[in-house]
Amino acid sequence: MKFEIEDVTVYFPYDHIYPEQYAYMLELKRALDAKGHSLLEMPTGTGKTIALLSLITSYSLSKPHSPLKLIYCTRTVHEMEKTLSELKLLHDYQFKHLGPRAGLLALGLSSRKNLCINPRVVTAENRDSVDAACRKLTASWVRALAAENPDVPTCEFLETYEKAGSAAVLPPGVYTLQDLRAFGKEKGWCPYFLARHMVQFANVVVYSYQYLLDPKVAGIISKEMQKESVVVFDEAHNIDNVCIEALSVSVRRQTLEGARRNLNRMRQEIDRFKATDASRLRAEYNRLVDGLAQRGNLPVSDTWLANPALPDDILKEAVPGNIRKAEHFLHVLRRLVQYLEGRLETENVEKEGPVNFVASINTHAGIDQKTLKFCYDRLHSLMMTLEITDTDEFLHIQTICDFATLVGTYACGFSIIIEPFDERMPHIPDPVLQLSCHDASLAIRPVFERFQSVVITSGTLSPIDLYPRLLNFNPVVSRSFTMSLTRDCICPMVLTRGSDQLPVSTKFDMRSDLGVVRNYGRLLLEMVSVVPDGIVCFFVSYSYMDGIVNSWNETGILKEIMQHKLVFIETQDVVETTLALDNYRKACDCGRGAVFFSVARGKVAEGIDFDRHYGRLVIMFGVPFQYTLSKILLARLEYLRDTFQIKEGDFLTFDALRQAAQCVGRVIRSKADYGMMIFADKRYSRHDKRSKLPGWILSHLRDAHLNLSTDMALHIAREFLRKMAQPYDKAGGSGKKTLLSQEDLEKMGERIVDEVLY
Amino acid sequence: MNNNGEERRLNGEEAEDDDEEDDGNGRGLEAWERAYADERSWESLQEDESGLLRPIDNKALYHAQYRRRLRTASAVRIQKGLIRYLFLVIDLSKAAAEMDFRPSRRAVVAKHVEAFIREFFDQNPLSQVGIVTIKDGVAHCLTDLGGSPESHVKALMGKLECSGESSIQNALDLVHDYLNQIPTYGHREVLILYSALSTCDPGDILETIQKCKKSKIRCSVVGLSAEIFICKHLCQETGGLYSVALDESHFKELILEHAPPPPAIAEYATANLIKMGFPQRAAESSIAICSCHKEAKAGGGYTCPRCKARVCELPTECRTCGLTLISSPHLARSYHHLFPIVPFDEVSTSLLNDPNRKLSRACFGCQQSLLGVGNKPGPSVSCPKCKQRFCLDCDIYIHESLHNCPGCESARHSKPVAMSEE
Repeated sequence: MKFEIEDVTVYFPYDHIYPEQYAYMLELKRALDAKGHSLLEMPTGTGKTIALLSLITSYSLSKPHSPLKLIYCTRTVHEMEKTLSELKLLHDYQFKHLGPRAGLLALGLSSRKNLCINPRVVTAENRDSVDAACRKLTASWVRALAAENPDVPTCEFLETYEKAGSAAVLPPGVYTLQDLRAFGKEKGWCPYFLARHMVQFANVVVYSYQYLLDPKVAGIISKEMQKESVVVFDEAHNIDNVCIEALSVSVRRQTLEGARRNLNRMRQEIDRFKATDASRLRAEYNRLVDGLAQRGNLPVSDTWLANPALPDDILKEAVPGNIRKAEHFLHVLRRLVQYLEGRLETENVEKEGPVNFVASINTHAGIDQKTLKFCYDRLHSLMMTLEITDTDEFLHIQTICDFATLVGTYACGFSIIIEPFDERMPHIPDPVLQLSCHDASLAIRPVFERFQSVVITSGTLSPIDLYPRLLNFNPVVSRSFTMSLTRDCICPMVLTRGSDQLPVSTKFDMRSDLGVVRNYGRLLLEMVSVVPDGIVCFFVSYSYMDGIVNSWNETGILKEIMQHKLVFIETQDVVETTLALDNYRKACDCGRGAVFFSVARGKVAEGIDFDRHYGRLVIMFGVPFQYTLSKILLARLEYLRDTFQIKEGDFLTFDALRQAAQCVGRVIRSKADYGMMIFADKRYSRHDKRSKLPGWILSHLRDAHLNLSTDMALHIAREFLRKMAQPYDKAGGSGKKTLLSQEDLEKMGERIVDEVLY
Repeated sequence: MNNNGEERRLNGEEAEDDDEEDDGNGRGLEAWERAYADERSWESLQEDESGLLRPIDNKALYHAQYRRRLRTASAVRIQKGLIRYLFLVIDLSKAAAEMDFRPSRRAVVAKHVEAFIREFFDQNPLSQVGIVTIKDGVAHCLTDLGGSPESHVKALMGKLECSGESSIQNALDLVHDYLNQIPTYGHREVLILYSALSTCDPGDILETIQKCKKSKIRCSVVGLSAEIFICKHLCQETGGLYSVALDESHFKELILEHAPPPPAIAEYATANLIKMGFPQRAAESSIAICSCHKEAKAGGGYTCPRCKARVCELPTECRTCGLTLISSPHLARSYHHLFPIVPFDEVSTSLLNDPNRKLSRACFGCQQSLLGVGNKPGPSVSCPKCKQRFCLDCDIYIHESLHNCPGCESARHSKPVAMSEE
């Protein structure tokens, strides 16, 4: 359908639109008009993605003199593919209506692992080894060597791509990763480098968060994006954590040992070069003296990582004298590694600010701040000079230099925490030195500054006023939309008491109470006997899950549960979890029914959907607070309080509730779907906790469902499931329309927007 | 006054819109009220906009009728499978002992299966039914396919203990083996009354579903607790109906929906000649050895026209020569499914108020006044052919039981009368 939003003609590939989608587009359009940033919360299953895509592409179509580029960031490759396939649908529709004027180039960009088509490379097991295998074939010196000596293996796809030169372009269209690979195979061009090249010309680019937020990657991939771009962060409820992780480094014993090995290897290489080709080292030295940027004129296949610090913070000056010589630099690194090893020997937990830490390095190892700051670039230059291609072997020393550069660059917003052992297992020594970033706004600031509009959107962004404070920006639009439903297809409940009327909670002093464990067990047992197909349970942590499942096993509850449904458990092992999920789905498909035990903040809670019969009920056992004794968390809380005036308790509750909302939100992925959500903890009934849940859950949380015991919840579940099994009218009654056709939109105009919003 | 009438009218229409979504009425009641809704219906009065009290049941009736009418309306002129071979699969696993239906699920199921079997044979005299039960994960054939309601009901009532798991696959396999043997003109159907929430199968149930699909077995499921994916999948694949009961009366309604013959499966809808015998009733005094009970019986009974064997009941298949034996009234009773009465149109209020058109104020069927409370025109319908008006009760009676429109019939017999009425 085609309709007008103010002065923009929107092309929407479906015949009907939800009212909230319309409202969402309207708000988004106003944000684009104002050239500002926006924060939009809309429940999952209401078609956020297509609303975003269709509005933004239509917007730039209607303003041909200033075309907008859309940079769409997703969290996973799977989401990327989903987005691109929606875009394809949209593009086909626009093409039908506008013809070639709708010409759009959209592509997904991912790592070599997902894009490579060279059979010798892509078989490597992980991302780093694929990258290294690629570099072995494509590094400039390898190719130079191959030009003289045909026996040296190169990648034929890159060669043909390079030969095609400027003729190697993608024709307009929408390319998923799959399409890119197919296109590459057909032409014999390397899809990875083709995509990297075409990103500058594409109207829509879909890639992962890291490509914008992690300065190491962003410096290379996203350097040349124009300012007139709209950046969309989808599923962005955890964006602050992504920002923080992008600037945090942790160093363990293995890292240091590995770094030592790397240093030895480099030592040998330097000796070899000295003997055979001393001029290379000298050339590098001269270049560093001149302060030439090492990267500026390198061939595209040689760049792999940029500086981990943010672009504005990198000094544009020559590398300091004491590390210009390769040997000297190695000495500096050796001293640094030694110093870090010494720090790891500690018996106590230590916490320091970067300033103190740098001062201490200076006194003990004789390395000053400026030298630290240049470590990363210097290492990069050295590896280039030494023609090292197996970069996956050198990850350890890269981590160390990464650390050094960050510590040398930032004086506040960070802290260094050394823990001799894991708090939860105090008798196993596992020293770790962490440089943790506390300020999420650091990593995202360049994005806000560089691009015209940044849209942060997710199904759960409540409370919506906290995000601007955490990320330190001023949105022109920040709004939360509810879902218009033809029937009450979600049924959230707060369960505060067990079947014996005693309160249940995972509060620290109560969680090991046998009564609570038993009550939780009875709850699940009762639920498996009335809920069909799949049930998902989320626990607050792995250790808590292990404990409670153990005691259920001992008391025989687990056995009783298994009579009704099969039980699957998420573990920290990815392969094992994937297998468990597969079997869980199979059990749901064939009617046996299954329960999946999972952990809030785990992989399953973040990325896996339990829609339709895969999740008819989700039980959140307890409130998923972070481990509050963690030193890193404490340091971050302190920083947030001092810098942004966010109270510790507020942040912890906010963080716990958004995790809980994220977990329960897994079960409902579309309006035709239905599911129940049980928050099993007495603390959820308190207003300060509950009010932080997203609006679309709160609006269905009836007062009668706020303080339930197991038997009442059971009764409600029975009723709900029966009601939901009845056939229903998808378009909604005449009273409340939930699907709007083109005529409806034209007739109603502005009015419906008001209805949805207020 | 008129306004009021219109309001009521609107109510009715709105209710119809909601019909699919919110089946029947009184679902908005609180749980404790709902449990008694059936027994204490005199208490469920509700107040409408104008402050008048009216029983909720009235509306519910209206709904149910409308619903059925829609079903017949959509099926006009569709070839129907009149000769049906239906297996009733009754789940007697542990879940059937649950007490959320009073006194228990199995008792409710048994009660309504009995009613269903009688209704089924009433509507499909040419068809046969068999009963299969699932218990302890194993399917048992309780009664073979047969045409006698009594024997099925008797067999079922004795065997109502529940235990163990339930297995749809086992039941389907068993039924598949039986149904595969029946002649191709018959329609193969399975109706599963399912209490459990899971199915414990020995193999891949999806394969079994495909097998059933290939053999053109139409599988329908009536669930007693919640929607189960595999049941939905089964029904979708094989073209059956899937429904879940809200309460006892809803369950009754759902199971009775399966009594009228379903539309024929397209590939099967070829015209076929079927050999049938119309046996004569034997003389009252004659004594013969009955082929079904294997004993000498005096009086009654029928004699197969081909092999002269004696059978006790019709319709059946001759034990000796395998000929289908029926009586002509059976055929006649099935006839109306093929030529149903067209659904009556609702008479709009504006038409009623139109002074130029004089419409009769009494129902043509029962001669009761069509005026509602306070002399307002009540809801009524009219036959699109003869334009006679009927009250809602007569509407249901004509469509559900009579299968003839009195208006059209009398017009056919006495043309002059109809003319004068016009």
